[in-house]
Amino acid sequence: MPRFVAMFAAAAALLAQDGATRENWPHYGGQTSAWRYSALEQVNASNVSRLTPVWTFQTGDNEGGLQATPIVVDGVMYVSTSHNRVFAIDAATGRELWSYYFQLPKGFTIFYGPWNRGVAVADGRVFLGTLDNHVVALDAKNGRELWKVNVEDANQCGCNITAAPLVVKGKVIVGVTGGDSAHRGYVNAFDAKTGRQLWRFWTIPGPGEKGHETWTGDSWKSGGGATWMTGSYDAELNLTYWSVGNPAADFWGGNRKGDNLYTDSVVALDLDTGKLKWHYQQVPHDVWDWDTAYENVLLDLPVNGRSRKLLLNVNKGGYTFVVDRTNGEFVAAWPLVNNLNWIKGVGPKGELLGRNEPVVGKSKIICPSIGGGRSWNQGAWSPKAGMFFTTGIEWCEDVVAVPETPKEGQVYFGGTFKLTHKPLKGEAGGHLGAYDPVTGKRAWLYEYKYPLLASVLATAGDVIFTGDAEGFFFALDAKTGKKLWSYQTGSGHRGSAVTYSVNGRQYVATPSGWGSAVAGLLPQIWPETERLRSGSAVFVFALPENGK
Amino acid sequence: MRLWALLLLLPVAYGQSIGTPASVARGDKLFAQGCSVGYCHGAGGSAARSQRLRGRTFDREYLVKVIRNGIPATAMPAWGDRLTDADINDLTDYIQSLATAPVNVAGGPSTEAPVALPAEKAWDTPEEHKRGRDLFFDLTREGRCSVCHRLNGNGTAVGPDITKVAAIKVTDGPQVLRYGRPRTVRTFALKDGERFAGVTAERTASETRVFDLSATPPVLRNLLNTDVQSIQRQANWRHGSVVRGYSLEDMQTIWTYVRFVAAKK
Repeated sequence: MPRFVAMFAAAAALLAQDGATRENWPHYGGQTSAWRYSALEQVNASNVSRLTPVWTFQTGDNEGGLQATPIVVDGVMYVSTSHNRVFAIDAATGRELWSYYFQLPKGFTIFYGPWNRGVAVADGRVFLGTLDNHVVALDAKNGRELWKVNVEDANQCGCNITAAPLVVKGKVIVGVTGGDSAHRGYVNAFDAKTGRQLWRFWTIPGPGEKGHETWTGDSWKSGGGATWMTGSYDAELNLTYWSVGNPAADFWGGNRKGDNLYTDSVVALDLDTGKLKWHYQQVPHDVWDWDTAYENVLLDLPVNGRSRKLLLNVNKGGYTFVVDRTNGEFVAAWPLVNNLNWIKGVGPKGELLGRNEPVVGKSKIICPSIGGGRSWNQGAWSPKAGMFFTTGIEWCEDVVAVPETPKEGQVYFGGTFKLTHKPLKGEAGGHLGAYDPVTGKRAWLYEYKYPLLASVLATAGDVIFTGDAEGFFFALDAKTGKKLWSYQTGSGHRGSAVTYSVNGRQYVATPSGWGSAVAGLLPQIWPETERLRSGSAVFVFALPENGK
Repeated sequence: MRLWALLLLLPVAYGQSIGTPASVARGDKLFAQGCSVGYCHGAGGSAARSQRLRGRTFDREYLVKVIRNGIPATAMPAWGDRLTDADINDLTDYIQSLATAPVNVAGGPSTEAPVALPAEKAWDTPEEHKRGRDLFFDLTREGRCSVCHRLNGNGTAVGPDITKVAAIKVTDGPQVLRYGRPRTVRTFALKDGERFAGVTAERTASETRVFDLSATPPVLRNLLNTDVQSIQRQANWRHGSVVRGYSLEDMQTIWTYVRFVAAKK
């Protein structure tokens, strides 16, 4: 190859999306490309067995566990807990710098649950979504409230905010829950400085808008389409990618005939205007509660010899969809779990083959269960390993569809379900695997008796971190899946571990604290999991300072 | 087999229970319609997001109280305005009957339709005012009235208690809604040059909390007094600038509805 071509190739590689984190863990998914991958390698496969606890931070509120992703900026960690409490902590010592307790209205009934999945931090401000549907900005120095805005009255909409906001270029972008209520979802952008709403993207088009014809009657007003997990952002394309959840009612679609756009879709929105650039719908007319809700991983890879800008998204139904993130073109889909019978497969254009739908008034076995072929806990993409690491769950449910009349803001499920003790294949349980992101070819699989409900962290040190239901936080070899280290934190793992460094020392931090809706379903299969203890603490580890 | 039928085969289940087979069966039905739905208590109280009720002993008074009043600051809602005393009695009988039930539920999930909830008391509105109420609280409009006015326990109290305004003898409400210049609105000038129309919510020696009206929904900003240049009576802000999404006819309907609520108070 002529030298100038090689130089050009190197320059192109540098220009490609760099989603690795280093000293800081600035965004929910690491960087805005949601890799959950750190370039730090002080802790690596050869020395991870010597990891030792450095500090622990008890938040004092363990209802619903601790589901957050800590954010770390310049040696300060920001963590949110259930009931919208925020703590700023010295990331090297664990000393509390300040705390903020959001005041919920008196007698307020919380929809879904009390948990919060994280804050966003930028320009000296900390941003938080609340249980009564406010977006709040705090001064990162002292926790003083700078502004708050009530997006919708939570009592009326049956919705709230549990996901971490995404903040880029002075804009705070926030989703909303409400996919199991009679509610119409959206994504909002607010000015980081003033709190003023800059734009709103309705996830269900209104009358006169394109896509409205995919709904019948008034069903669009109560059709769900929640945006309950954090979106991604591509700076070069200036697009922000959000996942839109299931249509409501979950199990019954009799009054919403059509594809029900943009539910179960990835939407690419112009950051400045909120206008839709493209969408990709994974599950048209969903009747299984198969949210497209989870992280949008932005990665650049060659496909059939051509370099592509890709977006990978794991659907709750257990299929992983890969599309071109410049235009939404379908690239690939592959199953994450063995127990999957709601379709027979995905065709070459992304079409669903052999739909197996719940029936009104009659029970039917559907796999995976409503808890998902995976839950919302995120996977990790390691460009070094060339692998996407993600958990998966083997379980099934007995489901009955029931016609229902929507009532604004009230639960709108359209059916009932019960988990079955044995899935169709093998035993019920969880696993963590290493997959080729495009083909789904699996390199290894780590199996566990219960679902793994904590996010995965990958590092350039060839180590994978996650935690289990019984409280073990552990490290696997990225190449083999072999367990290298584990530590008992006293409560199960439902949050997202991160890594960062302060003064040249690498730290690995994990929330510990069992809880959540999906965790609550486990006793239907494993009665003993009812006794798994809750908690809410951050555990931080590092290599011993003397180097031994 | 339905669960209550199973219980008939297990006389021990009724050992200390107060319920009758009929009340337990009716409670089972109510439970399937309202309590096991979604991610709540699970089929037959087998646990989901909320706790397991099967195989547990609960104090009767406690159950009645929690069903009626809910548990504030949790996901357990109050059912007192949706269920009758007889409903709550039967539901309590059913839950108590689960005390000796095996943890695992026999049979499939329920085929019961969820309970059709009556309108909440706060929302009790005669037919002729429903359109006005819907317009006032219309979530499909970003510029709906309830973004700034609280009514019947819903909405954000940025503006004044609108029932007091409506109670005043005004012959042409829509004209007020369009051209009114509320006295509470001020022009805030900050030292960094920013200016906006706002309503003061609270002022202390060091801080001013103000609803910024320059965007919908209004933002409650917490300004340091040292950052504020001046707060002046404004001349420009019109109520009409935020109700543009409503037609004149809509405004008449809303006004009539608000006057109805004001008269009821």
